[in-house]
Amino acid sequence: MDTSNSLVIETHNLSKAYKGVQALKDLNLTVKQHSIFGFLGPNGAGKTTTMKLLLGLIRPTSGGGTVFGQEIVRDSVAIRSRVGYLPQQPRFGDEMSAREMLHFTAGFFFRGPKAGIEERVDETLALVGLADKADRPIKGFSGGERQRLGIAQAQVNYPDLLILDEPTAALDPMGRRDVLEVMERLRAHTTIFYSTHILDDVQRVSDTVAILNHGELVAQGPIEDLLAGGDKPVYTLSLKGDARLALARIEALPWVSGVREVAHNGFVTWEISVTDDQAAEAQLLGHVLAGEALTVVEFSRKKFELEEIFMSIVEGGTDGR
Amino acid sequence: MVANTELQRVELSGWRTGLANLLGKENRAWWASRRWLVHSVLWTVIVNGMVAATVFLLAPRAGQDPLGIGIEMLFKFGGMALAIGTVVLVHDATIGERQLGVTEWLLSKPVSRPAYVLSKLLAHGRAVLVILVGLQGALGYGLLSLIIGEPLPLPPFLVGMAGLAVNTLFYLALTLMLGVLTANRIALLGASLGVALIGFLAVPLGSTVSTFVMLTPFALIHVLPTAVLGLPLPLSIWVPISITAVLSVIFVAVTLARFERLEF
Repeated sequence: MDTSNSLVIETHNLSKAYKGVQALKDLNLTVKQHSIFGFLGPNGAGKTTTMKLLLGLIRPTSGGGTVFGQEIVRDSVAIRSRVGYLPQQPRFGDEMSAREMLHFTAGFFFRGPKAGIEERVDETLALVGLADKADRPIKGFSGGERQRLGIAQAQVNYPDLLILDEPTAALDPMGRRDVLEVMERLRAHTTIFYSTHILDDVQRVSDTVAILNHGELVAQGPIEDLLAGGDKPVYTLSLKGDARLALARIEALPWVSGVREVAHNGFVTWEISVTDDQAAEAQLLGHVLAGEALTVVEFSRKKFELEEIFMSIVEGGTDGR
Repeated sequence: MVANTELQRVELSGWRTGLANLLGKENRAWWASRRWLVHSVLWTVIVNGMVAATVFLLAPRAGQDPLGIGIEMLFKFGGMALAIGTVVLVHDATIGERQLGVTEWLLSKPVSRPAYVLSKLLAHGRAVLVILVGLQGALGYGLLSLIIGEPLPLPPFLVGMAGLAVNTLFYLALTLMLGVLTANRIALLGASLGVALIGFLAVPLGSTVSTFVMLTPFALIHVLPTAVLGLPLPLSIWVPISITAVLSVIFVAVTLARFERLEF
């Protein structure tokens, strides 16, 4: 676990069925140390199931996985001693105050010194902006305050891995902003594996993303790669002039898998899907400009919006784009 | 900012991992609030209030032996009331936390599953033994001694108290077991209270307590008054006490085994 490329989570064909219904199918997931890993998928895709499997709250039907190299079923307690978890709908024992709850949580990890634990609780409360409500009973907390307290209890033990199930779902825009800022601050100290369906949040803080649909992993990788089209890059080319012959030339290229005309504003714009991005970047313009007198107005690799990718994958089945 | 290295880590300790912290939480819920006081007063009114009303008001009017009927009320009807009280008090211990998602949260910490079950058993066991059995027994002893004008013989009374304690723990273990076998609160309460009430009502149907009935846990509170009064029984009083204790241990074992397999 010393190098930055170490894997914190690794699953091998991890599967879970509930009474014959397959909730998770052959999940092969890798999460690197110090990443903020966004785990996306529509409701019922299997995100929470995956998190519970990693924590030993449920058992796999087949397959397995490791967290910190330890086996998720056999070494569950040892794994949980290094993890912080925020459940989707956090409930903690409403009769306690926020401070009492954090003391109780810290008691699972630390046995002393008392002053040190007290200080840790105080700084955790400050981190999530609950210092002024520390001694109020949790039952009076709003949804957003409960969520922030949930994050506080999840990281009071300096976890090596934070597993957050929909950490921003119940929050207003300001609350979401605060939670995302906390996550960014924690990145230096821990790995964050979180589920969400708020795509703006993912695009803002995540460095790695996986998309789950109907229990199957349909995309996984660095967010930059995903936004750049992954292994199916698309280039945008805008031309001035009669481009009909140029179109025929590029459609004939073996590494061009499709050309889509997207606009006609005095010039023609194509989205060209390719199978070889190096060939496209080195040769595409040459082939276009080989014949007619054309003017290239724009040539760039298309940057997708995460929502665009997510919707095409989820609505287009596992095949995606 | 306090550094991670400045804090002393709790060592993982197998099945005991997390037990001390959970037990502290459960004990605080009983003893660091007014809960213990409320239940002490409530069960004193119910159990010893019933004993006092019987021996001071009803027995003299009916011309009955106040000591005999007082012991009967304390151990038989008091035992039944404490069994029902235990079911009502403890049924929420596992099922309520499961339904709210608190169990899921607790088990996401370094907590072994046996530690979770044992924290419930030990904390609630201590509370019902002190508040429901010990306090009511001590007050009942004082009340009965007052009636006869001298201290009641202690050894047979303590045997009765041991029986009362085992009977109460039997219903605690039964309720905890049903709390992991079902997630339905009504089913849990129905089954636990049903066992207590059916057992209580079924036993006196025979004219006397038979040898066979003494081999069931339901006979225990019926034969305790006889044992405390030093009257003859078909079998030793330790037979139903032992059978009830063994069944309680079996219930705890089933609870531990089943909880190990539960998913949250």
